[in-house]
Amino acid sequence: MVTGYWHSRETFGTVDGPGIRYVLFLSGCPLGCAFCHNPDTWGRGEKTITADAVVKEVLDYAEFYRPDGGITISGGEPLQQPDFVAEVFARCHEHDIHTAIDTSGWAPRENIAKILHDTDHVLFSLKGATPQSYAKLTKGDFTTIRENLSLLAERKRTTIRYVLIPGFTDDALNQAALIHLVNTLPGHVDIEVLPYHTMGIRKWQELGWDYDLLDVPAPSSAETNEFTHTLQEPLPDRHVFC
Amino acid sequence: MNKNWNGFKPGKWQTQIDVRDFIQKNYTPYEGNADFLMGPDDNTKAVWDRCMELMAEERKKGGVLDVDTETVSTTTSHGPGYIDKAHETIVGLQLDAPLKRGLIVNGGLRMAKQAAEAYGYHVSPEINEIFSKYVRTHNEAVFDLYTPQMRKARHLGLLTGLPDAYGRGRIIGDYRRVALYGVDRLIEQKQQDKEEMFGRPMDFETMRARDEIAQQIRALGDLKKMAESYGFDISEPARNAKEAVQWLYFGYLAAVKEQNGAAMSIGRVSTFLDIYIERDLAAGQLCEREAQALIDQLVIKLRMVRFLRTPAYNELFAGDPVWVTEAIGGMGEDGRTLVTKNSFRILHTLENLGPSPEPNLTVLWSKRLPQGFKDYAAHISIATSAIQYENDEVMRPVYGDDYGITCCVSAMKIGKMMQFFGARANVAKSLLLAINGGKDEKTGEQLAPTMPLPKEGVLDYDEVRANYSRVLSWLAGLYVDTMNVIHYSHDLHAYEAGQMALHDSKIERLMAFGIAGLSVAVDSLSAIKYAKVTPVRNELGVTTDFQVEGDFPKFGNNDPRVDELAHELTHEFITDLRKHKTYRDAEPTLSVLTITSNVMYGQKTGSTPDGRKIGEPLAPGANPMHGRDKSGALAAMKSIAHISYDDCRDGISYTFSIIPGALGKTKEQRIHNLTAMLDGYSGYEAHHINVNVLDRAVLEDAMEHPEKYPQLTIRVSGYAVHFIKLDRAHQQEVISRTFYEAV
Repeated sequence: MVTGYWHSRETFGTVDGPGIRYVLFLSGCPLGCAFCHNPDTWGRGEKTITADAVVKEVLDYAEFYRPDGGITISGGEPLQQPDFVAEVFARCHEHDIHTAIDTSGWAPRENIAKILHDTDHVLFSLKGATPQSYAKLTKGDFTTIRENLSLLAERKRTTIRYVLIPGFTDDALNQAALIHLVNTLPGHVDIEVLPYHTMGIRKWQELGWDYDLLDVPAPSSAETNEFTHTLQEPLPDRHVFC
Repeated sequence: MNKNWNGFKPGKWQTQIDVRDFIQKNYTPYEGNADFLMGPDDNTKAVWDRCMELMAEERKKGGVLDVDTETVSTTTSHGPGYIDKAHETIVGLQLDAPLKRGLIVNGGLRMAKQAAEAYGYHVSPEINEIFSKYVRTHNEAVFDLYTPQMRKARHLGLLTGLPDAYGRGRIIGDYRRVALYGVDRLIEQKQQDKEEMFGRPMDFETMRARDEIAQQIRALGDLKKMAESYGFDISEPARNAKEAVQWLYFGYLAAVKEQNGAAMSIGRVSTFLDIYIERDLAAGQLCEREAQALIDQLVIKLRMVRFLRTPAYNELFAGDPVWVTEAIGGMGEDGRTLVTKNSFRILHTLENLGPSPEPNLTVLWSKRLPQGFKDYAAHISIATSAIQYENDEVMRPVYGDDYGITCCVSAMKIGKMMQFFGARANVAKSLLLAINGGKDEKTGEQLAPTMPLPKEGVLDYDEVRANYSRVLSWLAGLYVDTMNVIHYSHDLHAYEAGQMALHDSKIERLMAFGIAGLSVAVDSLSAIKYAKVTPVRNELGVTTDFQVEGDFPKFGNNDPRVDELAHELTHEFITDLRKHKTYRDAEPTLSVLTITSNVMYGQKTGSTPDGRKIGEPLAPGANPMHGRDKSGALAAMKSIAHISYDDCRDGISYTFSIIPGALGKTKEQRIHNLTAMLDGYSGYEAHHINVNVLDRAVLEDAMEHPEKYPQLTIRVSGYAVHFIKLDRAHQQEVISRTFYEAV
């Protein structure tokens, strides 16, 4: 029986992919983002769930998900547990449930290969569009992440979720790099701008960890709209939203 | 054929009274979106501005602008009244001035007097004398008929809110008949029915029917006279859309002039009126802006309906509601949608005139509704929190495709069914009776039949459950008897002749029982079953509190262990009720609905085994108890859906509140997700849902600064209220409800 390490789940997810979705948050993530709002999902922990149990619960609410919602597996980093994700998605497909993965892309290529077959939609969370941003904000390497994004975007409907952090990812350089990236990727990716928020700070404090971005404010909705708007102009055929 | 019907497709509706047939032959389903809608015209704006001023004055005066204490309100008691005559497209007020409240006494003199006095008015000595000396009122007759046990159950809060001192309401006249046939044809039909259906033998039922039809015929005559006072001859069918709206409204107006009913629904009028509007549009006699203005002006009139009611009544039905419920949309039996452009127009009044609790706009939901209409309804919900949804897919198989909703959630075939409204029994308190040997937990009085106390120490589920069944079985008999008494009396002393004149002469009758405290009762049962519950008893041996060790499943989390208890309880109670003989052989139905009486019922209920303390409110309707539904909105919905509509044909009310952000990020996503949510809810055969989309902070601010929120509307039960019209206890109860905010 395939089991996964998990943190929590939301049965009425409305912000992680299209429609109403069952959102399963797995635990375990190696990327170590400085602004992470769920640092409590970095470690794997002890809590496990079987693919059976997940699918059973999804089907219990299927009337709500079938029209044009589905399941999203988020994290943590779901690509750390590709066999589990693949199993859940395959089983969901047997019941006509749409599947989406919410990933940072920080994983070995072979993990990605495992989930490709039954993933309908990729939500690819991008923490800046330059190697420098990644170096500053994460423990990951942009080149690898970019390759993985390319691999996914070529094969799957993909939405880049671009995290907008004042002073880190909102500058002209990142913006230009993002536009270039979208234009050079295979496939047709859309962009969702995710404004940074400070609601995760409490969790860092609860964990007794130092939070490096204490001085960084959340962007206002005007700033977020403005950033979204300036992306949309050079990318007229892409859906850019926030 | 009557020339006023030119342009309509013929059918059996022409030779017999059959509004449904007329609709089916003539209506134009609309599958498009809301783009055609128009804003209010200048006349509408002028009239509505005046209404807003008047309502501000009404609020300043403590809720009542004026009362006529000299005249008993009847269909013909008052001359014509206007708000702003030059700009009113549709006319007619209950009294001779807007927002003035009339004395309607046949329900009971006491209630009318108390209500007047509460606002500083006094019923004239003459009326007082007539109704205390010479006229027997419903209220007086009921109390003569009540047995000591009925009085005790009522007094101790086991059966409460019963229509024994006020008009029972919940009857929907088929007001469309006035427009389609004209009053002369309706009188002719009634005369014919009287002789052909009820000619002989002269037994009790026949004589009563003849007597009632005679009253109906007189009421139709009065309806004509009332219309004449406004300069309209409504003997003949309406000739155009404007007349159709006006004729129909006169029918409704006569009802609210004569009856101070607990709920005065208007039925299902928008698609019917659309037929007239389409005919005029096609003939070039009307444009879209004028069509919208007709509906706006009708809705203004419906928003101005007022009754004189006591503060005690307000405890049960808070916020001064009238329940002018209008059922919108739904699907036809032939698979065509019953949505028309006018279904949009009536929802659009919430934008043209701003949010309002009345009329109580009720969308009959089906997955098969056109997406354009679903989207528009969801848009209006998100913008105003003023509409409710009821599942056409569970009601249509029972009531056909021409039913209306009376009050909040009660379906009935329009013009073919009526109901005997029966408020509700407190099933949380009933459980305490089962634990206390039949004694009332607040007074120690013996209320239910004496039964042994459960063994000392931790309560044994099977033992308590068996006692509970004994209490419910006894309660069902008492409840049916009490209802029989009330409705016998009401038929005799406060018969709704005007409304019943707009029904078939042979009708089906429903007897609408109800329960309050469902989630508290089932959580308590669950606590006894799955945790360890030890009663704390006082010197009289009745429980004052319970010690609960361990956790237990709670209703509202999609946990079958407890959800099944809710299903079992409702099924058991309706089965018990069905065993008893009902007045006029009415068919028993059951609702899980509390209006706002969940607060008052809570005050009358001692501490319960689920951990709820004495006096705390029960949850409204079928809602999970506040804060206990911790598994998200969909889990709560699935728990509600676990209660069977077959057991609860009078409706299962669920009030849902969510912050806007939890529905999605953008306006389009929120609309879309709300329609998907309603599709899912309907798909699970749940019955009713109120949708509130707002932040708790808005309500908290409105409590402190009511002047900033004159139109803030919120759904509290099967109806909506102006939030600022609720008293503080009700406001706090609404704020303490679960707001889904997880994102």
